[in-house]
Amino acid sequence: MKCEDLVAYLSEYIDNDLNEALTAEAQLHLATCHNCRVVLDTTQKMILIYRRQQRQAIPAARRQRLFTQLQSAFLNKSEPTP
Amino acid sequence: MSVTASSSARQSVGNMAEADLLTALKQRSPQAFSALFDTWSDKLFRLATGILEDDAEAEGVVQETFLKFFEKLEQFEPRAKVSTWLYRVAYNASIDKIRKRRPAQMWLGNDDGDGAEFFPGNLADWRYAPEAWLSSLEAQRELTRAISALPEKQRLVFRLRELDGFSTAETAEILGISVGSVKVRLHRARLLLRETLADYFSERMKREQLL
Repeated sequence: MKCEDLVAYLSEYIDNDLNEALTAEAQLHLATCHNCRVVLDTTQKMILIYRRQQRQAIPAARRQRLFTQLQSAFLNKSEPTP
Repeated sequence: MSVTASSSARQSVGNMAEADLLTALKQRSPQAFSALFDTWSDKLFRLATGILEDDAEAEGVVQETFLKFFEKLEQFEPRAKVSTWLYRVAYNASIDKIRKRRPAQMWLGNDDGDGAEFFPGNLADWRYAPEAWLSSLEAQRELTRAISALPEKQRLVFRLRELDGFSTAETAEILGISVGSVKVRLHRARLLLRETLADYFSERMKREQLL
């Protein structure tokens, strides 16, 4: 496997989506290619940084209003299933 | 070694499995409603604001999605995937609103183009950058800016896969595109975002004379 191939398969490699033969070839390449290893590891770090970001929530006033409206719609929709 | 194994969004609701939640919802349990709302309202809101960039419209999407869900509740099979269903409905509702806003604009088709593949250019090794850098607001801002600059079709796939924890197949189902398109878009998004952070961290390493 060459660097071009590794990069082309990078995303599927990260997702464990490659078949056994390609995974083995990718691992072999990664064991000897510093640059590709950096690309792989930094891609995974980028994903981790992304996941750490503060997640936006519904502003409190909207959230409360929405909860009340939906709860009432939900509870009044029909009688409970016996 | 996968970093994308998170699937909490679809496997459980608080401590309740989706199947148990469905049963409780069908019995109109107020606790089940709270669990449903707490688990998905913010996520659906984020999905909608990501597309609409408008809190009021996004709130409307969340409301519409849950109301549709209540209507369909009795028809849900015990093993149905509530999370995928909710996201798909919220996504479609958001797209409808976008289309009303800019009718002439094509949005998120299946076409991924056949442009030249992006190849990593910045090979700076920031794997061992100090933890404080990785979690710095500056780095977060760089990444947020780069995500905003992504084509919309890539940004949504990236969010659904990496943040919301949906599988490739589920993401395809939510967006109504092929599994192949999801993979292509995710691959491009990951490489572009990696490049942005590589540029940022290599500059910073130079600045702090670590390179």
